Amino acid sequence: MNRYLSQYRENEEPILGWGFIVLFLLVWEFIPHVVTLPKGLALFFTTPYHIGAKLVEMSTSSEVAFHFYVSATEFVIGLGLSIAVALPVGLVMGRFNTLNAMFDPFVTAFNATPRLVFLPLVVLWFGFGIWSTVVIVFIGALFPLLINTYEGVKNIDRVLVNVVRSFGANEWQLMKIVVLPNSLPYIIAGLRLAIGRAILGVVVGEFFGSDQGIGYLMAAAAGNYIVDVVFAGLILFMAISLVMTMAVKKLEDRLSRWRPEQVKTF
Amino acid sequence: MEPYIRSTDITLTFTPKNRDAVTALKDFRIELNSGEFVSIVGPSGCGKSTFLNVLLGLLKPDKGEMEIGGKKITGPGVERAMVFQEFGLLPWRTVLANVELGPELKGESVASRRPRAQELINLVGLTGFEGHFPHELSGGMKQRVGLARALATDPEVLLMDEPFAALDAQTRDLMQAELLQIWDKHKKTVLFVTHSIEEAAYLSDRVIVMTKRPGRTKRIIKINLPRPRGYEMRLSPEFNDIKLDIWNNLKDELNARE
Repeated sequence: MNRYLSQYRENEEPILGWGFIVLFLLVWEFIPHVVTLPKGLALFFTTPYHIGAKLVEMSTSSEVAFHFYVSATEFVIGLGLSIAVALPVGLVMGRFNTLNAMFDPFVTAFNATPRLVFLPLVVLWFGFGIWSTVVIVFIGALFPLLINTYEGVKNIDRVLVNVVRSFGANEWQLMKIVVLPNSLPYIIAGLRLAIGRAILGVVVGEFFGSDQGIGYLMAAAAGNYIVDVVFAGLILFMAISLVMTMAVKKLEDRLSRWRPEQVKTF
Repeated sequence: MEPYIRSTDITLTFTPKNRDAVTALKDFRIELNSGEFVSIVGPSGCGKSTFLNVLLGLLKPDKGEMEIGGKKITGPGVERAMVFQEFGLLPWRTVLANVELGPELKGESVASRRPRAQELINLVGLTGFEGHFPHELSGGMKQRVGLARALATDPEVLLMDEPFAALDAQTRDLMQAELLQIWDKHKKTVLFVTHSIEEAAYLSDRVIVMTKRPGRTKRIIKINLPRPRGYEMRLSPEFNDIKLDIWNNLKDELNARE
């Protein structure tokens, strides 16, 4: 008995986390057996079992695989482009006040505008399909990354800059040796935000501006009252978000090995 | 003999945004001989650190020029290196990588800079800590890294900006003694800024007392005590006389705060 208890203590967090998910699914599964749902809700209700079955069925369908591939491509290209643009622009804006003064109003205005506003224009310009969604993903992910990178650069330790300068470093070396490593925690935090925005971009773009992708599949299924598929798509998106967030966490751990470990306090 | 480092009257004024202009240095003049150990003491904010940064080549004076070995200073150079008060170690680099910073920026290959870095790490007594990160070191150890890093480019001049101010008293005594040994062995010219009269008197050939802001030279005191200097010397009456002399010059500046 004691042994089980100590094993539980060691793994308390995952046990509680997973346990609660299982409990949640069980309750959900049994709701229709216990409660009589109002007619409107009952018609479009589904249970974890049905969703699971749908997911299994979908995973063998080549059509679904195609839609998944489209969504993943949009996500990767859009996010990749935003990283490629946000990092250099953020670094440069942080280092040169003139450029910052030029770009700042633009960045602030764009960032404060909801992404959805651009969709009609983007669809007109890039057509109904994958590229409109890529652009929406790009716009969504760009600004959190850009703003965080900028903040990271602004938060530079003056002493470290002086140290590296005193050894005759040029601006490029200064970026590489001090500015970039110093900004990394900010950039990682920005990346985490950007991933959320990018997934949102995929969903929004496919809901309204595409005839391909998992988001389109969900919108189409909802139009035909096929609730299982809607939920299955939702779970797919949740799973992708989770995996990506964990990947960033891993990256962060790798890059911050030099940091003091968190000291446990009371 | 021509002094190794000399300046014309240096004046430097800071004009921060939305603040009154501050004249940190006014007609400050200095001459240093090669291999000499000189300390600067003065009240807080008298421009001691500012002057070091001018000499290091990070700040441009409004008026006046500095010369080193007959060459005008226009920016940082390999013949000068600074030991910083707050250590200034790159926290994401190991001890070894921190020490190698200067040679690396000079474009030296790993093969040529590594043995020298290792030698300096041994010299400052950090053998075995090459792979440690700064946060894993004590204050004294961090400043040993700072010293090794400054020596890594084999500079002629060591600039030290209150390098031991953040250390506890015993570590400080120890580091002072070790600095003297290293100085004696490597024959560097040292310009040492400090708040501690005792530290200045113990280490230096000459002590420059600065006025309050805007900083100028008030007096230069020659320390005619024999070397090598041991800890016992710090308890001798001659040493106390020197300390008193420095103090008497300094105290008016401290009282005359605006």
